[in-house]
Amino acid sequence: MILPPNLSVELAPNHKQGLPLRNPVLTASGTFGYGTEYAALADCQRLGAIICKGTTLEPREGNPQPRLHETAAGLLNSIGLQNIGVRAVVAEKARIWAGWQVPVLVNIAGETVDEFARLAETLDGVPGVAGVEVNISCPNVDAGYVAFGARPETAAAVTRAVVQATDLPVMVKLSPNAPDVVEVARAVEAAGAHSLSLINTILGMAIDLRRRRPVFARATAGLSGPAVKPIALRLVYEVAQAVRVPVVGIGGIATTEDALEFLMAGATAVQVGTASFANPRAAADVVDGLAAFLLREGLQDIHDIIGVALPGRVPEGGLT
Amino acid sequence: MIQARFPIVARDELAPGTVLLRLRAPALARAARAGQFVHVRCGDSHDPLLRRPISLHRVGVAGADRGGLQPDEVALLLQVVGRGSAWLAQRRLGDELDVLGPLGRGFRPEPKAGHLLLVGGGLGVAPLVMLADEAVRAGLAVTLAMGTRTAAGVFPARLLPEEVEYAVATEDGSLGQKGLVTDLLPALLPWSDQVFACGPWPMLRALRRLLQLTPAKRAQVSLEERMGCGVGVCYGCVVETRHGRRRVCHDGPVFNLDDVVL
Ligand SMILES: Cc1cc2nc3c(=O)[nH]c(=O)nc-3n(C[C@H](O)[C@H](O)[C@H](O)COP(=O)(O)OP(=O)(O)OC[C@H]3O[C@@H](n4cnc5c(N)ncnc54)[C@H](O)[C@@H]3O)c2cc1C
Ligand SMILES: Cc1cc2nc3c(=O)[nH]c(=O)nc-3n(C[C@H](O)[C@H](O)[C@H](O)COP(=O)(O)O)c2cc1C
Ligand code: FES
Repeated sequence: MILPPNLSVELAPNHKQGLPLRNPVLTASGTFGYGTEYAALADCQRLGAIICKGTTLEPREGNPQPRLHETAAGLLNSIGLQNIGVRAVVAEKARIWAGWQVPVLVNIAGETVDEFARLAETLDGVPGVAGVEVNISCPNVDAGYVAFGARPETAAAVTRAVVQATDLPVMVKLSPNAPDVVEVARAVEAAGAHSLSLINTILGMAIDLRRRRPVFARATAGLSGPAVKPIALRLVYEVAQAVRVPVVGIGGIATTEDALEFLMAGATAVQVGTASFANPRAAADVVDGLAAFLLREGLQDIHDIIGVALPGRVPEGGLT
Repeated sequence: MIQARFPIVARDELAPGTVLLRLRAPALARAARAGQFVHVRCGDSHDPLLRRPISLHRVGVAGADRGGLQPDEVALLLQVVGRGSAWLAQRRLGDELDVLGPLGRGFRPEPKAGHLLLVGGGLGVAPLVMLADEAVRAGLAVTLAMGTRTAAGVFPARLLPEEVEYAVATEDGSLGQKGLVTDLLPALLPWSDQVFACGPWPMLRALRRLLQLTPAKRAQVSLEERMGCGVGVCYGCVVETRHGRRRVCHDGPVFNLDDVVL
């Protein structure tokens, strides 16, 4: 008899309850709403976890138009964190999640270290909230609007504050726009993060030829989608070698093959983002695809492929 | 909401760059309401990356004449403006389109409205035809006013239900009255109970100015904005309203004209 392969992973081994997932496929913040919107289409209960829209202390209106601009196999966005605020998330969304099988992590965003701490505190112990993902790509109001995630010290300060404010597992989401992402990763791990996710969007821009001005009011915007995948993969590969906590790969993942690349590069799990817009079932398809891949390769466990492409690992079953 | 591939069963070039596609799409036809839209994939690769929003133009119903549409068929009216729409317009009979929908909140005629005035600017006529179809079937009186630059862009009268009163304006005077669609309205507004409009922003602004003279008249407008997801998760498609920034795909595309900040 052939047993179905084991896809389950643990994303917070250093946390007392841990964060066990039935498979390593999550949906990325800002691309899957609160999990409810796509419910009629994609069976989101089959996913490893859902990460909800970036959540702030107060509801936010976000940026004026334009907010989206399509590029070659990519998407520039300047949404500005429009969201319903943490109180509504607790009152309206967590109530729904509490009845779900699939764990939901709340992505939190603040402009000061204290705001992050208060967000984490508010979510602590709320039924339906399985963990937090800390978006440190936000501008730090106290430091001239330089992103928290740009420097190891500020990234660590946010991480420490969040870990102290909640008993929930804490995943810290790294920005690719930091001068030294690996240094930030090390600092965040030392500050107590239970796992790291990367990458958030890459700063980019576009020019409106007719107006002869940048398309976006703030000139720059965040690039996502297949166009960023090679960069994201390189960063995951580097960070996975520098830390011991689990790394969650994000960036341009649309297919099983994309996910496999990230897993082999050292990611314990992956998040599907922009790809869901074209294919709302993309994440669910990757779950099925990973199981099929393991079966085909005669592997019993997803851990048999995690990190196999890292230096010093002898690939099992791969072509030599 | 469904996502499925539906075959193209008819394709008609109404004018250069304007294509009428008919899909056999029973599940979509059953669920569709006038003013809703579908989000359509424009290719099989990652480029273009995003789907394109297209209004539901018409749905076939047994026993009703809807421009030759068969039951279970859904019609889309397309204008080629860029890569995605060009790809869609090039599809042939038998090709399948990957469609997500029906999406959004459609037109909501008030129960006591007996005479509807529909105002379309250019391709804005697309969703209004479906509203006209449904209103005629419900026994309501319908006037459709449409404006375009030239006669080539005018929606063919032969495709409308014959009960619809059709008024046309063209900017160059090549068909109907010379001028803008809003020039037709002073004569039509007094008879109408409720107004439904879709078209460019200048048209909507002119409509609001006209309606300010008759404050009792209520209007709903279908708005367009660039879309990512089409289902309300990305917050890419917001418009300014009196109640804050609202998502066209989820809170609209149909809004009360009074609520929209023009
Ligand atoms: C709810 C809704 C319903 C729609 N219904 C229809 C319909 O029934 N039939 C139809 O033909 N079209 C409809 N549209 C418009 C259609 O979605 C766009 O024309 C299409 O997405 C353009 O894609 P493209 O790849 O062809 O053009 P692109 O290559 O993406 O763009 C071509 C050019 O048009 C500009 N542009 C396109 N759309 C916009 C916009 N919204 N705002 C500002 N600039 C823009 C671009 O900047 C570019 O210069 C609808 C849009 C919405 C939001
Ligand atoms: C429209 C949009 C909104 C996003 N919103 C958030 C957000 O609120 N918080 C966050 O941490 N990341 C946000 N992201 C980033 C994604 O979660 C992800 O890190 C990034 O898009 C790269 O992955 P992808 O290429 O698979 O989309 C957003 C991305 C997009 C496209
Ligand atoms: S297109 Fe994503 S919220 Fe409307």
